[in-house]
Amino acid sequence: MSRAGVLRALIFFGLLTALPFAVTEHWIVNLGVFTLIYAGLASAWNLVGGLAGYPSLGHAAFFGAGAYAEAIYFQHRGVGANGLLPFLALPVVGAGVAVLGLAVGWIAMRTRSDVFAIVTITLLFVVQTLAFNLNSLTGGSQGIGMPGAPFDVDSYERPFYLVLVLLLALSMGITWAALHSGAGLSLQAVAADEERARGIGVHVTGVKLLAFAVSVGIAGMIGAVWAYYVTFIYPQFAVDPLITIGMVLMAYLGGRGTLWGPVLGAFILVPAQQYLAYQYGATQLYLIAYAAVFLLIMLLLPRGILPSVGHLMRRRRVVTERASEEPDQDAATTGIGADGGVMVR
Amino acid sequence: MTTLLEVEHLTKRFGGVTAVDDCSFAVEQGTITGLIGPNGSGKTTVFNLITGYLRADSGRILFSGRPLTKSDPAALYRAGLSRTFQQARIFPRLCALDNLIVAAGHSWHSLFARRRGRDDSRRARELLDEFGLVAHAEHPAGELSYGQRKLLEFASVLMSEPRLVLLDEPTAGVNPTLVETMERHIRRRHAAGFSFLIVEHDMSLVMRLCDPVIVLDRGTRIAAGSPDAVRADPAVLDAYLGQ
Repeated sequence: MSRAGVLRALIFFGLLTALPFAVTEHWIVNLGVFTLIYAGLASAWNLVGGLAGYPSLGHAAFFGAGAYAEAIYFQHRGVGANGLLPFLALPVVGAGVAVLGLAVGWIAMRTRSDVFAIVTITLLFVVQTLAFNLNSLTGGSQGIGMPGAPFDVDSYERPFYLVLVLLLALSMGITWAALHSGAGLSLQAVAADEERARGIGVHVTGVKLLAFAVSVGIAGMIGAVWAYYVTFIYPQFAVDPLITIGMVLMAYLGGRGTLWGPVLGAFILVPAQQYLAYQYGATQLYLIAYAAVFLLIMLLLPRGILPSVGHLMRRRRVVTERASEEPDQDAATTGIGADGGVMVR
Repeated sequence: MTTLLEVEHLTKRFGGVTAVDDCSFAVEQGTITGLIGPNGSGKTTVFNLITGYLRADSGRILFSGRPLTKSDPAALYRAGLSRTFQQARIFPRLCALDNLIVAAGHSWHSLFARRRGRDDSRRARELLDEFGLVAHAEHPAGELSYGQRKLLEFASVLMSEPRLVLLDEPTAGVNPTLVETMERHIRRRHAAGFSFLIVEHDMSLVMRLCDPVIVLDRGTRIAAGSPDAVRADPAVLDAYLGQ
């Protein structure tokens, strides 16, 4: 990792971790929890939606699967004297949801692009219908509850917040590792031209299934933390198309296929949504304002904020370098290549 | 001379159309074999069958003596059978160097290794140098001209050290200078021991580069032999010019 990259990550995660200790207002930390939930989801979605180019609209189904797994398991059990048992169960939830993802992906990933999006959103509604109707397991529309956490009232949100910071770090760490390994290169090839990738020996099926399984596994773990946080879950909120749309919008806004883009998107959209809901909530105008902001950004920065800004900066640098160089300088030696791999650095 | 590729009684139908009809031919090691035929004679379908993109309805294909049982382009590529496409398919957002590295014929292990392994990088740079693209190594391949993309695609499929390279119209749509460049690169690689099977419409290029030449018409082989013999064959004249 470049030194600037390490520094950026240290500052970002240092500030994130410090926030719930510096600020005690519940609404701020609560907003932090939901921002982190979406940042983690968008970052995880990006592994398969951004890197592999498979625009899944079904991730909320796996978020819900993780939430229900956690709630069903702890429904009649204690959460431990310190309330940490549900967090310790996260790796198991993640692994279970990832295996589920392998099975689903093995079938769904035979389709591509728009068909894949439709297949996965169908999956979402199938899972939601199951959650509504498997009464003995999920409690149906009555919902299902798990014991509340025995955390200190003054800092109740803090443990959830910190676990979500860890999950975000996990997701971004995996994204970083993917971008800097053969897996990321293979995924980018799959995203660009899967048929040709197959023709040059890329393990297409393996690498895209791996990305899908890891991605939904993280979404499942975040769902489990969410279930513990809200303690009572209902099908329409646990398997919610708005969660799917939220993470996809955030990844698009910040920049698909980049390390920081989806996280940036979440840190802009979740607080903005809350603010707009607070300001215009009474009139429902906030939904229109939300959509308008999004349309505007998509019009002006179609590839997302980070890639568009990066592109602008590179072009400016090339122009200034060209101006200062000998007029007969070969264009090939100017600055574009210095940090060429658009998506990597 | 040993036989590298054998195509035996290959048939492929698309609905009511028989694109390849009981087609048989062989590619000997160390040759530049040309595959020609009028439009719609089944050349690209034959390519897709050989490289595993399509499954044959009947007949079989043997690569270095072993029958190809499953149609898996990736496995065939790793086994030494490379191909290029008619339309120069490269990865436009990846830089030229990454376009080569991604084609290095990967093992599972490399998924978890560094993005640019030292060996792969070195060989990729050597190939870019050989193909005159080294100045573009770190630039997105989408910035290259069409002809350069054709060269880049050709260079990339050499990363696996293939035993047989299938080129689908390597000079279609490029300028005359680049046709010569492409020819020079094919000859140089041929001299280094590579075997080629080439589909090409540029007859003068086929006649001076390829030997033997196989002629397809309506999905089946109608002639094969040296360029001169094929040119004089009445069946070939008939297929190209009609009655």
